[in-house]
Amino acid sequence: MSSTEVYQLNFGPITAHAFNKDRTQVAICPNNNEVQIYTKAGKSWNLIHTLAEHDKLVTSIDWAPESNRLVTSSQDRNTYVWNLESDEWKPTLVLLRINRAATFVRWSPNEDKFAVASGARVIAICYFDEEHNWWTSKHLKKPIRSTVLSLDWHPNNSLLASGSADFKACVISAFIKGVDKRPPPTAWGEKFPFNTVLGEFSNGGGGWIHSVAFSPSGEALAFSGHDSEVSIAYPGGAVKSIRLTGLPYLSLLWTSEKKIIAAGYDCAPVLFEETNEEWKLSRIIDVGKKKVVGESTAFNRFRDWDTKGISSRGGSEDSELNTIHQNTITSIRHYAGTRENVTHISTSGLDGKLVVWDLENLENQFRNLKV
Amino acid sequence: MSFRSIDVDALDEDILHQDELFVFSNGIEIDPETALNDVKTKEVDVRNFLTRGETTTALIKAIENPPYGLHTSEAKDRNTQIVMDVLNSTKATVDLTKSLSTEQQDILMKYIYRGMASPDLYNSAVLLNWHEKLTEAAGVGCIVRVITDRKTV
Repeated sequence: MSSTEVYQLNFGPITAHAFNKDRTQVAICPNNNEVQIYTKAGKSWNLIHTLAEHDKLVTSIDWAPESNRLVTSSQDRNTYVWNLESDEWKPTLVLLRINRAATFVRWSPNEDKFAVASGARVIAICYFDEEHNWWTSKHLKKPIRSTVLSLDWHPNNSLLASGSADFKACVISAFIKGVDKRPPPTAWGEKFPFNTVLGEFSNGGGGWIHSVAFSPSGEALAFSGHDSEVSIAYPGGAVKSIRLTGLPYLSLLWTSEKKIIAAGYDCAPVLFEETNEEWKLSRIIDVGKKKVVGESTAFNRFRDWDTKGISSRGGSEDSELNTIHQNTITSIRHYAGTRENVTHISTSGLDGKLVVWDLENLENQFRNLKV
Repeated sequence: MSFRSIDVDALDEDILHQDELFVFSNGIEIDPETALNDVKTKEVDVRNFLTRGETTTALIKAIENPPYGLHTSEAKDRNTQIVMDVLNSTKATVDLTKSLSTEQQDILMKYIYRGMASPDLYNSAVLLNWHEKLTEAAGVGCIVRVITDRKTV
C-alpha cells in the first residue's frame, strides 16, 4: 500500500501546478512559456493540451474547480483566463495594466474574481466586465513597497493576504462594489472598502515573505520568510514566530485549524502543530526511504562510469537525497478533503516531480513507528 | 553598452532604499553617540567578566543589544572588537553554543560573519572553529537569518 504517488512530469523544474476539480487532469508549467495539461491514465499521465500563448516563463497557474477555468500568470506581464470550448482551451486577455512580471495568481473562493501579484508593486484584482466581455482589474497599491510573491484569499471572498519582498505580510480588502455582496464582519475588521489595510505583519528577520496562507476559518494567517521563520499572525496584531534550524519554506498549507504543512528548500514537507496555544514543528512528513545498498558497489561504480560517465565513489545512490523530492519544493496544493480537514496534498518543485501525499496514511505509518 | 549594466531603477522615483528596508525588518534607528557610549559601558563589564574567568557570561554580555542602526559604524566596530576578544579567549564548544537562546545564537553568528569579512583584522581560524560549533547547535537556519537580516552588526 503506497501512501504517496510520485510522477516525474518534467526533467527540469515545474514552476507551478494545479489540478482540476475531480483530480483527473493537471496543468503544469515545465519551466518555460507553455502550460501543459495532462490527463490521468491509470498510473501515468498523458499530455493532452499545450497552451502556448505566453511569451515568457509561466509563474503561476490556478484552476477554478466549479467553473472549470484556468488562469495563468507569466513574466511577460500578462495573465490569461482559459475556457474549454469544444475540447480546445481558448485564452481571454486580462487588462492588468502592470509594467513588471506577474508573479502569482489565485482565483477567489467564489471564482468570480482573481488576484494577480506582480513585480510592479501592485496586486491586480480582476473581475469580469460583462459590458465589454473582458476581464478588467483594479489595483491594490497600499502598502506594498516591493514585488509581491504570494497571495491567499480569505474564505469570505473579500479579504486577501499578500506576502512581499519588503518583508511584510498584509491582509488587505479586495472587496469590489458590484461584484461582491457585502460580507459579514470578520475578526480582521468590520467594514472594509477596497484597499483597506486590515493587518500588516513582519517577522522582524528581514526575509522576503515567500508564502502566505489563511487558516480554514480565515481567523489566522500563516506566513513564511526567507529568514527561515514561520509566523502565525492573528487579528489585532499578535504574531507567533518560530525560528527554524533548517532552510526556509517556500509554500504553506493549513490542513486544519491547528495544523500547517510547510515545504521548501529542505526538499521535504514538514508539519507544524498547535498544542496549548503553542506552535511548534512537529515532524517531517517525508519519512525518507531507506537507501538501497547495491550488492556490489564496485560493480555499480564501473557500470555508472560506462553508462552515465559518472565517477562518484559509491555509485549513483550517493548523489541521491533521502527524500522523495530531489530538489526544492516550490508549491503545495490542496488535493483532497475539506478545507478544515485536508487529507491529501500535492507538491511540485525544481526536480520536475509531482507528488500526491496521503496524510492520513502517513499519520498511521508514523503512529506505528512510535509503537 | 550592455543592457545588463543599465540601472533600470534610475528613472523610477519610487524605489526602495536601504534605510526603508532597515525599518521594514523592525530596525530602530539609534543615536550614534548614545550607541557608542553604551558599547563603552558594555566593554568595561565584559572585561570584568573576562578577568574573573566567567567567559560564558562575558560572551552573552558582549552580544547583548548590538548597536543596530544605519549610522552607528563606530559603535559597531568597537562592539565587534569586544566580541572578537571574547571569542579569542574562549574555547568554542557545542555545549556553550547550545546553551544560548535562538536570538543569541543568531547575533553570535552575525558577529562571526562580521569577523570573517575582515580577515586582516581578526583570526579566521578561531572564527571558523566557532562557526562550526555554532552551526552544529543552531543549524543552517541561523546562517540564512544572518544573510537576510538588514539589522547588521
